[in-house]
Amino acid sequence: MINIFYNEWKGFLRNKLFIFLTSFFVFSLFLVTYLSVLQNKKQIENQEDAHEYIRSQWDEIDSTNAHSAAHFGTFAFKPNTILNSLDEGINSVTGLVLRLEGHKQNDVAYSERSQSLEISKFGKFKPYLIFQFIIPLLLIFLSFNSYTSEVSSGRLKLLIVQGNNINKIVFGKIFTLYSISIILLIITIIIQSLFTFDEFSLDEMIRLFIFFLCYAFYYFIIISLTIFLSIVFKNNISSLSISLIIWLLWTIFLPKTIGNFTENLHNLPSRFELKEEMTNDRSKGIDGHNPSDKRRSELEKEVLKKYNVETVAQLPINFSGILLQADEEYGNKVWDKHFGRVHEILKKQKRTYQISGLINPFASLQSLSMASCGTDLIHHLDFLNASESYRRYFVEALNNEYTFVSTSGDNAYLSNNEFFRSINDFIYVSPKFSLFFHYYFLDALSLTIWILILIFSINYKLRKIVIQ
Amino acid sequence: MNLNILLYEFHHFIKNKAKLFSFIFFMAICVFSIYNGIVISNSQTNTIEDITNKVTKEHVKVIEWFENGDKGPEDRSWVNIEDPFWSIRYTPTYVFKYPSPLLPLGIGQTKQFGFYKKINRWSSTYDTDIVQEISNYERLINGDIDFSFLIIFLLPILIIILTYNINGLEIDLGIHKLISIQHKNVKIWLVNRMLFYFILVIVSIDLLILLVGLLNIGVYNHPTIFQIILISNIYILIYFLIFYFLNIYTKNSSNTAFKMISIWLLFCVIIPGSVHQYVNYKYPANYMVDFLDVNRKQTYDVFKLENSELFDMLYEIHPSISKEKDLEDLTSNKQNIRRSISSIVNQMNINAAYEIEKQNEAKNNLIRSTYLFNPISFIQNTWNSYTNSDYYAYKDFRIKIQESINARNNLMIDDLWSGKKVDSETYKEYLKVLN
Repeated sequence: MINIFYNEWKGFLRNKLFIFLTSFFVFSLFLVTYLSVLQNKKQIENQEDAHEYIRSQWDEIDSTNAHSAAHFGTFAFKPNTILNSLDEGINSVTGLVLRLEGHKQNDVAYSERSQSLEISKFGKFKPYLIFQFIIPLLLIFLSFNSYTSEVSSGRLKLLIVQGNNINKIVFGKIFTLYSISIILLIITIIIQSLFTFDEFSLDEMIRLFIFFLCYAFYYFIIISLTIFLSIVFKNNISSLSISLIIWLLWTIFLPKTIGNFTENLHNLPSRFELKEEMTNDRSKGIDGHNPSDKRRSELEKEVLKKYNVETVAQLPINFSGILLQADEEYGNKVWDKHFGRVHEILKKQKRTYQISGLINPFASLQSLSMASCGTDLIHHLDFLNASESYRRYFVEALNNEYTFVSTSGDNAYLSNNEFFRSINDFIYVSPKFSLFFHYYFLDALSLTIWILILIFSINYKLRKIVIQ
Repeated sequence: MNLNILLYEFHHFIKNKAKLFSFIFFMAICVFSIYNGIVISNSQTNTIEDITNKVTKEHVKVIEWFENGDKGPEDRSWVNIEDPFWSIRYTPTYVFKYPSPLLPLGIGQTKQFGFYKKINRWSSTYDTDIVQEISNYERLINGDIDFSFLIIFLLPILIIILTYNINGLEIDLGIHKLISIQHKNVKIWLVNRMLFYFILVIVSIDLLILLVGLLNIGVYNHPTIFQIILISNIYILIYFLIFYFLNIYTKNSSNTAFKMISIWLLFCVIIPGSVHQYVNYKYPANYMVDFLDVNRKQTYDVFKLENSELFDMLYEIHPSISKEKDLEDLTSNKQNIRRSISSIVNQMNINAAYEIEKQNEAKNNLIRSTYLFNPISFIQNTWNSYTNSDYYAYKDFRIKIQESINARNNLMIDDLWSGKKVDSETYKEYLKVLN
């Protein structure tokens, strides 16, 4: 097989078109990866500036009422990961800014795509665009006739007469083509590492390795499937046509149709319906601003009993703060119930889509690629949950200040700047990949199953071939 | 036009399973995409109806308060709907972006934006409740089966499948010279063969577009349908012309297929992707800090101002209240001044939003400047504008929202400062002005 591999490479290196195409891809990958890193760094800087600016406003708050400060709130800006430059995943369509304040949970807003006219349907020209759309096409064009040309030129017979095994010949060809794609992948990984190495942690290295592996698996599938088709159809035109149609189905048609199907299978509520349901549920709770609320009296009795006093005025604390926090906690339960359901539906949709990897390995590739770069839905939901946890901490800290530092009727009490500065900043760190790997097991499994089936199918088909 | 060649090509097309299946498959997806567009359009229309019903019920409830002599809801004793401040607060208003009847022909950027907005006096055009519908983001990046997407991005691939081996196959089979002998001019033979597919594609696509037009708005009432037909036909013609030249100078069919796919990749994926990357580098995604600043910090700062300072700011925005400006009135109008702060904040929001729109416009200008070498983005955005689903359709929606916020604040200022007492008739007037 080594000889076949060596000879194939020699053949490729003699081919001017191959040299040109490979040089073009190497150059493109270098340029695209470098520019993506630059663009990503600029975006990260902007995010950090925005974050620091908003925090500095918080740190400079004059003496003010703690509850007013809860309304003043703060913002969570969605950070970009370093590997966002390789695959930006869903980042261009998700919002970037989330307002965190008392009484309500807001929606993450201001997505990049809502800020301009439409430009590209397939996303920015980042490495993932080359890896997912262009290199597979190159591999199809390099492999569709690599078997049939050997048959039609009579070289296959000659090689077999010389004592070569047909399996070794075909797999030698597959591994030669595969090595080209691996070289292109390695080049990109090296460029990415060169420009961002100082920011790399072990987790980023693991993520890069997963990124490399998923594309390596996918390229093996593309090459072996194209060669398998050329063995089955025995002519160039049919194998090329079918390979192209499959590429089209996998990368463009099936992701859309299966996406549509999963959406219909697991229906998401409309924003209006969800808001109505949440408003209904919340109205059952204690409205901190509504003194006539029935549940208020129950809470009042409980607190008076706890402090062993007769009236609210005798309380050593501010009862309004207790009411606000109770309302907040009820609101949290309502949010957990409804958004928990939405997040569950989103995860179910993702899972169903992942199952489609069994018929469309591109779905598994896309999922693993985004996941390894920390730019998929699961990572986004993690950011939203972390922001919500912070909001709860933030509002509770302010409500406690309001409750325990002032007394009832002392609603004009002003907390000082030192207190506001003591509230921790929101720092979001992308989770370690190992914690999330279980979400992507199905993708890895699908790609592996595809590889095994193709190896088996090629072997099976080759065993049936009789060379006369 | 040589009818014999067209007829021959028709027979070839019918007998070639791959081509026939690809064509039927493509047309089936087109029909599905139109159905998908109708579903999205209906879903938006239903949501708008639900909201309108809910709002109408609330309006009826307030009118009943007036008729029964109630001042407001039982559990809110401080509310007095005869006071313009409260009656305007109890006039729920929504602004809608109604789906275009042509939405089934192209959903464009529809899924990037919200299509309804509840208005109160503190609202702004960049509030966070105006975001897109709850959706699966991974699904958003893959996009919908959208008719315009199929025509702009997938139809060229169908054309490739239909035409890549015209002339190339004859070379592959070594019968090319025979063609030259039978037809004095190979170019005319090629034109006729490609003409068959051109007519097939154009007629099928135009029929689908016309069908949607007829079903939704009536074709003769809407020139936009003809604009969509025109742009799609020009687009298809350009592809046929390019592929015609590739077929003339073909070496073999696989070589031509490679070139055709490369052209598709270049124009549909690489150039738009590169422009996207460059535009994003030049104008990174906006974190809207300036707007957030106005919406939060500066708004809070306004609340800290003295009444006289607030009055001066109000006077600048609403000169109609000038006659009230003296120290004595200021004291008596203290409540009116505090209740009018939203109008000052609204003006600040307008200024901040203007800056954002300016930045977005600069980004759009950059995108437009690339149209010469990035024709796909041009076609895409032109098409989206026809189906009222582009950035500017949603900018118009924001303008409508701003007009509604202005109307609410102006009404509030006028009636507060003139000391108007609201009755059911005045309330009905409010409903007319604000809805």
